[in-house]
Amino acid sequence: MNYIEKLRTSEDMVTPGMSACQGCCGELVLRRILQIAGKNTIVCVPPGCMSGAGVVGWDYQTGMKIPVHIPLLTNTASFLSGVSQMYQRKGRGDVNMIAVAGDGATADGGFQSLSGAAERNEKMLYVCYDNEGYMNTGFQRSSTTTKGSRTSTTPIGEAINGKQQPSKYVSLIMSMHALQYCATASPSHMQDMVAKIERGLSESKKGFAFIHVLAPCPTGWSFEPDQSIQIAKKAVASNMFPLWEKYNGNYYITVENKKPIPVKEFLQSMGKFKSLTDADIAQIQQEADTKYETLKKLASE
Amino acid sequence: MSKKVHISPLANEGMYILDTASWRTERPVINKEKCIECGLCLTYCPVNAIIFDEDKYKITYNYCKGCGICAVECPKKAIDMTPEGGEK
Amino acid sequence: MKIKAMTGNTTAAIAASLCRPDLIAAYPITPQSSVAEYLSELIHSGALASNYVTTESEHSVMSVIQGAACAGGRTFTATSGQGLALMYEPYFQMSTMRLPMVMAIVTREMISPCTVWSGQQDSMSVRDAGWMQVYVENNQEIMDMIIQGYMITEHEDVLIPINVCYDGFYLSHLVEGVDVPSQKEVDAFLPAVHFNHAILDPDNPMAVDSLTSGEVLTRYRRGHLEAMTKALDVIDEVDKKFAKAFGRSYGGAIEEYKTEDADIVLISIGGMTGTARDAVDMAREQGIKVGLIKLRFVRPFPVERIAKALKGKKAFAVVDRSVSFGWNAGPMYTEVRAALLGGNDKYSHFSAIGGLGGADISLKHMTSVIEKLESVKSKPGQHETLWLMKEF
Ligand SMILES: Cc1ncc(C[n+]2csc(CCOP(=O)(O)OP(=O)(O)O)c2C)c(N)n1
Ligand code: SF4
Ligand code: SF4
Ligand code: SF4
Ligand SMILES: [Mg+2]
Repeated sequence: MNYIEKLRTSEDMVTPGMSACQGCCGELVLRRILQIAGKNTIVCVPPGCMSGAGVVGWDYQTGMKIPVHIPLLTNTASFLSGVSQMYQRKGRGDVNMIAVAGDGATADGGFQSLSGAAERNEKMLYVCYDNEGYMNTGFQRSSTTTKGSRTSTTPIGEAINGKQQPSKYVSLIMSMHALQYCATASPSHMQDMVAKIERGLSESKKGFAFIHVLAPCPTGWSFEPDQSIQIAKKAVASNMFPLWEKYNGNYYITVENKKPIPVKEFLQSMGKFKSLTDADIAQIQQEADTKYETLKKLASE
Repeated sequence: MSKKVHISPLANEGMYILDTASWRTERPVINKEKCIECGLCLTYCPVNAIIFDEDKYKITYNYCKGCGICAVECPKKAIDMTPEGGEK
Repeated sequence: MKIKAMTGNTTAAIAASLCRPDLIAAYPITPQSSVAEYLSELIHSGALASNYVTTESEHSVMSVIQGAACAGGRTFTATSGQGLALMYEPYFQMSTMRLPMVMAIVTREMISPCTVWSGQQDSMSVRDAGWMQVYVENNQEIMDMIIQGYMITEHEDVLIPINVCYDGFYLSHLVEGVDVPSQKEVDAFLPAVHFNHAILDPDNPMAVDSLTSGEVLTRYRRGHLEAMTKALDVIDEVDKKFAKAFGRSYGGAIEEYKTEDADIVLISIGGMTGTARDAVDMAREQGIKVGLIKLRFVRPFPVERIAKALKGKKAFAVVDRSVSFGWNAGPMYTEVRAALLGGNDKYSHFSAIGGLGGADISLKHMTSVIEKLESVKSKPGQHETLWLMKEF
């Protein structure tokens, strides 16, 4: 079955009406993961835009067709470790254990528990939807926010102009754990993303699988909602967000980028980078180049 | 509201569903003349408002938020965003 | 049954293993570490068939356990001081999700000043986080209350997690003779784990812990408080069952000693109780009519039993091994006082604070409390806090 057939025949597990903004890639990613995973699944969605959008239920009504829990911002991977261990113990290792967590819950507050669970190679699929900030609380900076970005805790000012530090490359850090599977994905490259979710699910039966998905956010990043996929495409095309995976100890670049576009094209397509100077752009370009070179080296070994 | 008080906070009495169709200011409409039934619009719709039914891709309007992604991503420019009239 | 000489920590580990938890998670911290180590030994040797999760922190310990409990598992952990503080976030969620478990707190003073020694500031500071808390006096009681703890926490009228609190070093590292029940006896006493009121299971999908409005949240809180009240009866019931099976009874939420004819009463918590008993015996020899209340359960707080035990007495003092900042008193003193409101008795009373940061509460200290009680007993009202400390 090709990926389009897969998507058009699989059942949506999420409430049809959730309050994520128009054009939200977080919503897109959440629905895709869970429709591929299907009913035999337990999912955790920590505090953030997705849980806030109603998928973890409201009062006595649930937001999913599958069991769902909102853990803490700081403990998704450890909470799910406990569930997973009990299911292994009960001989029900076939149940998918999935986390769908924001970059804050993944790379910041939840990073310690995530790293611990990956190090223990707990059996689960942990997906980070990265919208590069704490969107649910009003778009504050996170460690994955790109340098120069305007956020509500790194505003554009006379003295300090946007975020001062480059982003933390959480997927590469995660790949340095002895985990089962690690990948990056972009909703613009849906076929690649679907394949990685499927592989991530099957690898999660053997150990820890981690997928870092870019999730452009029209509201926070300041672009028109219909541009979400275009922006994601540019992120990949400019090497701001290269697509790769690691399994059996080897790195593979899954979408090769022979002729990258300048990062400027990506940066200028949204409002949050409006105040970047040429020097900022040059530095971001250099970081993107270095990132891709590093990955190429890793993939060629 | 439920009369029953659970011991632990939990929810199992139906689905929490928001009326997201009411957000729509524009309505995506597939131009059947131009559509090649490739399915890309379905893969990119964040809401899963596009379905495949009787060998055709169709947009459903109960929850479509009118984001316009499908129109931008259609390789044949077969989807028009038209002013919303309010009908389902 | 066999009497074995062992430390409080070994006792706790053996007690937990006798209850056959599905999953144990623990993170080492002084003075708890040897609990984590001994349980690891039991599991690595094959003697105990629990899943053991060696997390990167206590925050994850409680989180892993919460996950396992959401899959219906019986769980155990132990911690102290800073570990408990780090755990606070999931600790609160564990109780308010009404997930049963037994967790030992090897009580430790809170930083600062920097310390690793005994004190009850850690557990006392979280007494309003929705858990039950029992404070024990000796290693035998550690054993017995961990076993009883599972029966209380998993009782269908309760479903609230429980802390078994014992003094760091004073009990954790003290070797005492402990009557160790056999596995067969514990299996016969303790039913298999059976709760399933909040379960993550694809066969019965639900949202566990959905976003909740204040109106609905209030219903959950009220249910939690009602279960706390019911727990007082369950505690007595389990004490009786335990006495029948193992021949030891602790009297439920409080234990009274020589209070019947007493006119002044000393109130103790945890390991200091042994010294308090000796002080009471000595004072009795001198004709002082003093009795002792050992406060066992702090949550649920035994309001009625305390009021009844103090009825008609002239004076009482509570010795706390922790402080209530802003009250210039110990926390249990303030709560015992609150328990007496509504009665017509006019007491003389004061708070005594000692044993902080590993400092000893000596027989001399306990005697000084009794002497002060004796001297103020006919002057109703609150008297100044007595600090049981060394003068420098
Ligand atoms: C311990 C703790 N600190 C702060 C918060 C407040 N908080 C809720 S969601 C959130 C941001 C989450 O960001 P991210 O994980 O990136 O998800 P997003 O909202 O961007 O989807 C924060 C800071 C919290 N829930 N818990
Ligand atoms: S703020 Fe961004 S991430 Fe959050 S729901 Fe809106 S579009 Fe999605
Ligand atoms: S993307 Fe365009 S051409 Fe393809 S199915 Fe949708 S409407 Fe038709
Ligand atoms: S407008 Fe947006 S929500 Fe509506 S069908 Fe198109 S992609 Fe889906
Ligand atoms: Mg985010």
